[in-house]
Amino acid sequence: MGEVILTMKGIDKSFPGVHALDHVDLELRKGEVHALMGENGAGKSTLMKVLTGIYTKDSGTITFEGKEVEFHNTHEAQEAGIVIVHQELNMVGDLTVAQNIFIGREFKKGIMIDDKKMIAESRKLFDELHIDIDPKAKMSDLTVGKQQMCEIAKAISHKAKVIIFDEPSAALTEKEIEDLFVIIRDLRKQNLGIIYISHRMDEIKVITDRVTVMRDGGYVGTLITEECTKEDIINMMVGRVIYEDPKTHSMVPDDAPVVLKVEHLNAGKMVQDVSFELKKGEILGFSGLMGAGRTETARALFGADPKTGGDIYINGQKVTINSPEDAVKHGIGYLSEDRKRYGIVVQKTITENSTMATMEKFTSGLFINKGAEKKAAEQYIKELATKTPSADELVVNLSGGNQQKVVIAKWLVRNCDILIFDEPTRGIDVGAKNEIYKLMNRLAAEGKSIIMISSEMTEILRMSDRIVVMCEGKKTGEIRIEDATQEAIMDKATRDIN
Amino acid sequence: MEGIKQNPIVKKLGFNRIILFCILVLLYVAFSIAIPGFAGMARIMSILNYVYFLGFLALGVTFVIATGGIDFSIGPVMFCCALIAGYSLNTYKLPVAAALLLSIVIGFCFGIFNGWLVAFVGVPPFIVSMASMNIAKGLGSVFTKTQSVSWPQANDPEGRGWFRNLVKVGGVPTGLIIFAIFVVILFIIMNNTKPGRYILSLGSNKEAVRLSGVNVRKWQMLAYVICGTLVGIAAIFFVGAYTTVQPGLGDTYNNEAIASCVMGGTSMAGGLASIGGTVIGVFVISLLQEGIMALRMTKEVQMIITGLIVIVFVYADVSARRRKN
Amino acid sequence: MMTKKKSIFTQEVIVGIVLVALYFFFRTISADFGKYTTFLSMMDISYYYVFMAIGVAFPLITGGVDLSIGTGMICYALAGGFMIRQYGWPTGLAICLSIVFGLAIGLLNGVLIALMGLPPFLATLCTCMITRGLGSVVTGSFAVPWPTAKQPNGWFHSIFKITLENKTKIPLGLVWVILLMLIMQFVLAHTKFGRYTIAIGSNKEAAMLSGINVKFYHVMVYAVSGLFAGLASIAYGAVIKTVQPGTGAGMELDAIGGAIVGGVSASGGYGTIYGTVIGAYVIIFLKQGLPYIGFNANMQQIITGLVLIGAVAIDIVKRKVVK
Repeated sequence: MGEVILTMKGIDKSFPGVHALDHVDLELRKGEVHALMGENGAGKSTLMKVLTGIYTKDSGTITFEGKEVEFHNTHEAQEAGIVIVHQELNMVGDLTVAQNIFIGREFKKGIMIDDKKMIAESRKLFDELHIDIDPKAKMSDLTVGKQQMCEIAKAISHKAKVIIFDEPSAALTEKEIEDLFVIIRDLRKQNLGIIYISHRMDEIKVITDRVTVMRDGGYVGTLITEECTKEDIINMMVGRVIYEDPKTHSMVPDDAPVVLKVEHLNAGKMVQDVSFELKKGEILGFSGLMGAGRTETARALFGADPKTGGDIYINGQKVTINSPEDAVKHGIGYLSEDRKRYGIVVQKTITENSTMATMEKFTSGLFINKGAEKKAAEQYIKELATKTPSADELVVNLSGGNQQKVVIAKWLVRNCDILIFDEPTRGIDVGAKNEIYKLMNRLAAEGKSIIMISSEMTEILRMSDRIVVMCEGKKTGEIRIEDATQEAIMDKATRDIN
Repeated sequence: MEGIKQNPIVKKLGFNRIILFCILVLLYVAFSIAIPGFAGMARIMSILNYVYFLGFLALGVTFVIATGGIDFSIGPVMFCCALIAGYSLNTYKLPVAAALLLSIVIGFCFGIFNGWLVAFVGVPPFIVSMASMNIAKGLGSVFTKTQSVSWPQANDPEGRGWFRNLVKVGGVPTGLIIFAIFVVILFIIMNNTKPGRYILSLGSNKEAVRLSGVNVRKWQMLAYVICGTLVGIAAIFFVGAYTTVQPGLGDTYNNEAIASCVMGGTSMAGGLASIGGTVIGVFVISLLQEGIMALRMTKEVQMIITGLIVIVFVYADVSARRRKN
Repeated sequence: MMTKKKSIFTQEVIVGIVLVALYFFFRTISADFGKYTTFLSMMDISYYYVFMAIGVAFPLITGGVDLSIGTGMICYALAGGFMIRQYGWPTGLAICLSIVFGLAIGLLNGVLIALMGLPPFLATLCTCMITRGLGSVVTGSFAVPWPTAKQPNGWFHSIFKITLENKTKIPLGLVWVILLMLIMQFVLAHTKFGRYTIAIGSNKEAAMLSGINVKFYHVMVYAVSGLFAGLASIAYGAVIKTVQPGTGAGMELDAIGGAIVGGVSASGGYGTIYGTVIGAYVIIFLKQGLPYIGFNANMQQIITGLVLIGAVAIDIVKRKVVK
């Protein structure tokens, strides 16, 4: 490791309602691979967005190559030599590899683009990095792993001095990860500074020099990789005092009937042979890091995405679920993660959204019984304490928390026996959160069965009767609440060499 | 201005619709002043003749636009219905009632064709419209061997002209009554029935509706079927007022129908539609074309104006939505 | 996952095979189809369609469309011919006017779509109506004849067809078609404009993030389409001779259909000018050959409509399978 190339000191950033970064520090040296770790929502992405100019910091300083800098967009950052390789690749699928690498700055021979030169330069680039990709190949024909290599090559060709990798290995095969590490070691030898965001303990151990851990938007500490253990890192990631009492034991009897049984569910890379049971009156927490496959599992179960295999049993009977229509008919409701995109119909009112899944009950023949509809909506506005002037208010005008309540109301109106809540309190203020927790407990007590997907450790520990942990498409563990600790969960949620 | 906008009556009727209505009145006054003899029943009946068929076209396409799609085959399809039904009437001696029904059925079939391609096969609506438009033109011509078709006159010796009573009886515009009834029915369908609810919702956020357990493809197709059926009805009112249909025409009415919708507040992005607004829009366009004719300007001038109207209103909608985001 | 093996049976090749097959099919139906005179008349009507198809391929590749090319072509032809007829303009000047007019409307489309954000089908539907109206308004709704070949200012006919001393006629226009095809394919594959056209259609976000002035190129794409509609209007004036106002609606379908049959993707990101031209000729062969099976012009309309839907449906199914 050489001299310091980049220092971020006291970075602070707030958005309405959330303090995303709280005086975060980060130091990067030349020739160093520096890991940035933390749970979902710890602030890693936000910190990098501040660095590369996507967000403007509220306070703090960024020093690059000895000078204080502030970038206003990714171009400025790129010009200075700081490049980020995103999780979602920004490639033009219909163009070739070489064309993508040099897009926007093509070599020209008069009016004609000099594709030959671009191919030659790309080859040179790939040779330097020991990457084996044909520059003439069409981008969309390549595997995700190879596409990522191209993105890296593109970053290098911009004469990058600092490269940030955001969860680079998420979509790669074992072999591709090895290739990636070869490249990273090469870059390190060339004295680049590399920030490596990942949750994979084994990779951290293999490729990085230091590890910085963030938690809840704050900076926890920096360790030297060689000198620390997985437990040390986990402790830093989760070592918070939980003010709300975690649930200590479950009220669900051991012999409670199984309302939902999922066996060998398969849906691509994100859902691999997942099996679990849900008991009546139970809240089953689904824990794991981003990209673990929990939402994908829920969607495959709900029929929202096609599945390649698996059996679903409801109350002991095998059922066929190939669409959300089927799932809803069998009594399953699904509250998606992204309520704005998948939960609410923005041009419609609270009433109309509330009855969207239960129209048969409120129509006689074709006609909608608007009176009954409104009464039902108002009932749940009251029950859920949704803040709104009236049931006729357009959903788009409500705050996030209240929008969530409308989506919940939709499934309550339907009276589903099985409810899947995907990140139910994300982006919601504390007051509304507690109301939703109270509601979930009440529903469970009434005999409804709930699957709760959550990335918030406190939430998982507070609400679940049992916890299923997933990691990269596989179910890695099942823990009863009596035995659950943050460390135990995180241990199963992070990949390990076993 | 904000105060006026918050007024409960204004909110109920719709601020934009009220403005549009005022424009309608102003236009009428302007034309009456500029053109001697414009005011009066004769002109009004002529305007109404245009309102009926254009109204059915526009109301039909309102449902399609509500789903976020488009159908600009409506004009040629209307002509196709009128041609085939009229030809059967004249050449195959089909009774008038059957011919009227045939017209509606043909429109219905086009609706199914368009709707199935868009909702179940996934062909982009504008391509389906392009193809349907040409198929309708071709079909109409083939069936009538490229001849124009004249529907029976009011004083038809065989008594087949009774269908004109649907448009006008003496000095009473019966067509207006029928149109008004349909407007009410369609309003109810759009705002008070399950299909209407689903159609508007899926236009706003198709995935959210699908995840609520609704078979969105079915309802998306239904919008096109409703449109096709109304186009078949529009054909009846077209021939009721204008008698003769020529094959190969009909395009201009597409834009006029779409213009009526966008003026009335229906958003091209889907999810927002106004039956009442469309109706006012239809009256504006019909009045406009009557006035332009009276000013001895050509239909082509109308085409240009209609094109500009659509551009202006859609741009207004696009920028309003951009600002909201 | 291996990279896909490249089949030589690309859509362009398949369409080429279809073209040849169609030729032999119609030839067997009627010996007439193989005659030189038939060939000549087919070439004649092909020029304006192919020009339109080449032009509209660009908006299609960006995932958009230009519906104004049909009525636009008529409008530009009316304008040019009108200037010759009414104001005695030299033919060369009138030709320039037609082309510039097309370019201007193309730029208008580009502004409406790329800068103002209107949906492409809607914006071009409006300009379709507007050009239709303009054409008639300018010429007073009268048909406008372009100078015939025999007249002194009819020299432009020889751009498309020359008569040799032994009275045989040579379809010179075909040379221009091939030339333009080669030039525009070059533009698409080897210039920044063509490259960015594909990028916009494939992943506009990525293009923007790479620092490309997407707005500029997006406007230019529609300008090109308009320009070629302008060129088409010259060919139209030379071949059809008398331009009728109010015509043109529906021609865009043949041009667009030809492009899509030739492999241009309706959702954008892919297309070749070779395929576009071959696809356009498939449509033209159909139009020329169907009468021999007893399918008149109206049946052709139905068939070309179905062909367009078929081509797009196949494209959609292909994508689903690849996914």
